[in-house]
Order: sequence, then C-alpha cells, then structure tokens
Amino acid sequence: MSSAHYAPGPADHVPPELVRDFDIFSLPAGVEDPIAHWAALVDGDTPPIFYTPRNGGHWVLLDYEHIREAYRDHARFSTYQTPVPPIEPYPVMQPQGVDPPEHKRFRSLLAPLFTPAAIARMENGIRRRARELIAPFAGRGRCDFVREFSAVLPTGMFLHLMGMPEERLAEFHALSDVFMRSNDEAVRAANIADIYAVIDDHLAWRATHPGDTDLASVLLGARDEHGQPFPHQDLLNCGFLLFVAGLDTVTSTMTCIWRFLATDETARHHLRASLANRERLSAATEELLRINAVANLYRRVQQDLAFHGVRMRRNDRVVLPNSIANRNARVFANPTTIDLEREVNTHMTFGVGPHRCIGAHLAKAEIMVSLQEWLARIPDFRLEPGVRIEAYTGPVMGMRNLPLRWSNS
Amino acid sequence: MKVDVVIDLCQGHARCQDRCPEVFGTDEIEGKCVILQPDVPAGLEQKARLAVRNCPEGALIILD
Repeated sequence: MSSAHYAPGPADHVPPELVRDFDIFSLPAGVEDPIAHWAALVDGDTPPIFYTPRNGGHWVLLDYEHIREAYRDHARFSTYQTPVPPIEPYPVMQPQGVDPPEHKRFRSLLAPLFTPAAIARMENGIRRRARELIAPFAGRGRCDFVREFSAVLPTGMFLHLMGMPEERLAEFHALSDVFMRSNDEAVRAANIADIYAVIDDHLAWRATHPGDTDLASVLLGARDEHGQPFPHQDLLNCGFLLFVAGLDTVTSTMTCIWRFLATDETARHHLRASLANRERLSAATEELLRINAVANLYRRVQQDLAFHGVRMRRNDRVVLPNSIANRNARVFANPTTIDLEREVNTHMTFGVGPHRCIGAHLAKAEIMVSLQEWLARIPDFRLEPGVRIEAYTGPVMGMRNLPLRWSNS
Repeated sequence: MKVDVVIDLCQGHARCQDRCPEVFGTDEIEGKCVILQPDVPAGLEQKARLAVRNCPEGALIILD
C-alpha cells in the first residue's frame, strides 16, 4: 500500500457555506459536558452536513437519517482506513475495519461470545465485581467514580474476557487513553506499536497456556474454511480492536450516566423503583444510553459521490456523532427530555448495520448490573461541590474524574 | 396479529427481546432475532407492537 493511498485530498470541492471550524478533539475551557458541547452544533446555523478543516479535514453528519444511511452503506462509506486525523498505515481492525461481506470472517468468530445468551451467563461475574468495587467506598460517603468504579469494572471484564492479567489494568488504561485522546501523529504511531506489542505478547503466552473460553484462546484455536489457522496479523488486528473498543467506551458511558444521575433525583427514584423489574430497568437503561452516546465514529468515502446534494471525494473522512442522531426531533418525541419510560427509542448509541457494536449487550449488562448494585448500596448521591470535572472529546467522549458524595448513614 | 423478521436486516440489537421476551428471542450463534410466537397471543399485542417499533434496523414486520 502506498503511504498516501487513503489520505484525503485537498478540500477544494467543499463550498465555503458548508465549512465550520470544529475540532472534534478539543473542548472550550470549562466545558464539563462534552455531549452538550456537540449537541450545541444543531442549535445554531450549522448545516446538517458540514466540513471542518481541523484534524486533516473531514465531514460531520448531524441528521439521524443521514447517519443511519452512512452506517448501512459500506459501498459508499467504508470502515477501512478511516482515522481522523489521517495516519497510514492504520491498523486494519478485525472485524471493525473491514467492509461487508469480508467482515463476516471475524464477526462470526466473535459473535457467539457476545450474544444476549452469552452475556447473560456473565452477569453473576459482573455483579460480583461491582459489589467488590462498591464495598470499600460505600461507607466512606464519597468516591471518585471514574478511578474507583467506571474505569475498573469494564476494564476488568475485558481483561477477564481476553484472559489477560488484571494487575496490568492501569497500564492498559493508559495505552487506551492515548489511543482515544491523542491527535499527535508521532505519539499515536508509538502508541499503536505499544498496543500491538501487548496483544502479541498475550497471544504468544496463550498459545502455550490455552484457556477454554477466553477470546485469545478462541482466536488462536479458530480455523478457516480450509482448516487452517487465521494469519497471525489478523489475530493481532482482532485483539487490537477488542483492546481499544473494550477498555474505554463503557467507562465513558457509565461516567456520563452517573454524572446525570447525581444531578437528577427523579431519575434516581425511578431507577430505584425499577431495579427488580427487568423490562422497566432495560427500557430506562436504553434511555440513559440514548442520551449518553459517547462515540463519534469514522467512515471513509469510497469514491467520488453526491450525498444528499453534497459533493464528497474519495478518501474524505466522515464523522458520525451518535449523540446527535439520538437527539433528532423527527425521530424522538421531546428529544432533550430524559424519559426513562420512553416507548419508542430507536437510538443509535451502538450504531446500526453490519458493524453494530458487537459488545453492546455486554455494555448494557454492565450498566444495568451496576445500577442495581450501586443504587442498592448508595441510593442517593450528588456531585462533590467545588471540584472541577475534566472532560474530553474525540472518537469517545467522557470525563477523567467524577467526584461523588453521599450521606453514609 | 402475526409478526415476522426480515433476518437480513436484523443485526442482533435484541431490542425486541428486551421489550417483549414472550414473542421475540435471539439465537446463540449470531444473536439474531428468533420469533418465538409468530401468532402473538391475546393480551401481548401492545407489547409486541412496541417491540417492533423499537427495532433500530426496521427489521420487524406486523402481518395483521
């Protein structure tokens, strides 16, 4: 592959009226809610399809139907070589970075481990972990939610799934933090090499210490249609995806949800009354997921095209902000109201189409079980006054800290 | 009331199963929709209808 094969060209096809200065990696000083910062895009005069020159230049889609269309049409919007800002060569994450139908090879390998039935079997493990995390601070009356809960629970589950040593959790978290938050090309290139080294070491160790159910062992044991093992590079690429997709997104989602709950007594009350009713809790969780959609996904235009009257060129990058799709007034009644009993909620927090987030059911189970365990021990809580929340944005939005306080009666 | 799934559109969100587990399930291989009761039992029509409307892929259909 030539080094510039997937680099976007100059933006001379972009009419000036579609250009806005929007840096997906930066928040204005003092902004504590990155999702609200993005949501403000639709309040002004921003065109529903706009172009920002930042980070190598890219489009952003704001309309629910446009985003949905881009997710489902891989002939026009590829998941192959999509990074913003563009760097090459970029890891071909398996299966996320491969277009249908080729994505099926690895998607089919992983899918049985992430079905609702498979995730249901993990619920006891999630519950045990949640209880163990809450116990030390429940009586203290305060905690940093990120450091002591949301960064630990999903990461621990991921390491367990991969069969990786949990004592390396902090180290892995630092790696995924750089991956999601840096737009410095040299830092990112070194970071990608570091993550590959972690995955490679782990696969090598699992090759001589096979497990039964961990993902690394499943990948190593998998055979293609000719009975051959998959190429090592593909296994690395699959491990890479699971690493970067599994360590960060649930942490960020949970943190955004708990920040909201800390400020909304009615929502806490509704959830406490729903903890034992699975269907009610599930619907409420879907609404929390709708309003706290932390991912902004990337696609690459496959060939010169017109998309709803807008000319796009091959290799143009397109950013799909799920949180904005989820606030579309034509799709959601009272879209900015958080209605935990919302009847129709076709949110796109996990994307749609063939690349729908494979970990969606795990993410939802982690959040539901955490709500049950947390609210049983800590029914009421609020933000610690006077402590600044440090927010971030990028392909995943969230907060680095969330100081919470409650009365420890 | 009858329900059906366009399986090629289903991507395994399982929102139907969450909303109306009496009528909709998911398989253990791909996690895709399995219609447990194509003829929706009396009393479950409203729940099944909501489950259909909650599919983010529009993969479910109601055949009256």
